[in-house]
Amino acid sequence: MCDLCMKHGAGGKWYLNAEHYSNAIAEKYNLRDFLMEQYKNFEQISVRKVHGFNAVGMGYKLKMPIIGRIVKHTAEKMLHSTKPPTNPFRAEGHIGQIVPIEDAIAILETCAAEPIIEKNCMCRYMSRGIKEACCINFGVMSEIVDRLPRFIPEKDKYFLTRQQAVDRFTEHNKKGYIGSIWFGPFPYINNLCSCASPECAGIRPRVDFGIKSIYKAEYIVDFNPDACTGCRACVAVCQFKAIAYDHSLRRITVDYGKCYGCGVCRHACKQKALYLKPRDEFPGFEREY
Amino acid sequence: MKGKTRITIDHAKCGDGAGVDPRACGACLRICGPAVFLLHETLGAKEENPYDPQKWRVTPLWLDLCTRCMKCVEACPEKAVSVEW
Repeated sequence: MCDLCMKHGAGGKWYLNAEHYSNAIAEKYNLRDFLMEQYKNFEQISVRKVHGFNAVGMGYKLKMPIIGRIVKHTAEKMLHSTKPPTNPFRAEGHIGQIVPIEDAIAILETCAAEPIIEKNCMCRYMSRGIKEACCINFGVMSEIVDRLPRFIPEKDKYFLTRQQAVDRFTEHNKKGYIGSIWFGPFPYINNLCSCASPECAGIRPRVDFGIKSIYKAEYIVDFNPDACTGCRACVAVCQFKAIAYDHSLRRITVDYGKCYGCGVCRHACKQKALYLKPRDEFPGFEREY
Repeated sequence: MKGKTRITIDHAKCGDGAGVDPRACGACLRICGPAVFLLHETLGAKEENPYDPQKWRVTPLWLDLCTRCMKCVEACPEKAVSVEW
């Protein structure tokens, strides 16, 4: 169990605690106006200055001797904030975790607040200029997206039933997109995304700059060496370079430290040799979120 | 990679005010391997029309991830991108 689960999981995983999805939380923190203001200008957030810094050339800023550490600390403090959000132009309390398909289906079937909507991924739009409907939103967030034309998919039906949402998520997951669930802002959960690296604005800071903008999943992938035929289909789909092919063994090897536990590689394996195991069962990796 | 990479986009040729809508083109966004560029609405444009803003531009955001492949320079139909180091 990660820190978020310990504090907000009510004895389980934080994202399976239905309390965080309720409209009552959105009303309590007045998130309707906050989120509207934030998503109206969502693409601008990276170029706006926070404490005199914006994200332009972030890697160079982080390499500066003392300033780099201050920038990283400030960014993490902002993302992990549990205080009521104040400024819609910052990603305050916007922390997420990677979820495998089983947990995502549990979220959609039991926790997610109605109405459920699918919207164009804004990360893919702002970094590739491509509109692709693969994010699923819940509750108050759905009402907001419905008022912002650039996020609405170009088809008639974008309000989904629970079953349709599960089907859509499964489709994306099998395509190789990583499932991720987000507080946005804390303590309200409203986003279930299907992300791809390097476009995703949430995964990029973690993978490229080491800023904890997203936690690894509660699981790690493991495999049955006898079943592996060395076809390398899983190597191609892994977005974190956790799976490698070993030429002398003629099978794959998994780097547990690099694995984020998204479980997408399982769809690629025809031999069903890959499976997810809870992170607690890997000594040394229990606290590596 | 030695030194800092500087990517400049000439907003007189591409983006708000130039008559070229980067949302319609997006050649640099799609050709870039590490997705260095960011498509965003120009700061300050929100006051005019908050719901469907027409003023958009491209900013090179993750400069340190640039691999200096120069594909964006070749791909830009307006010759607005330049990469230096």
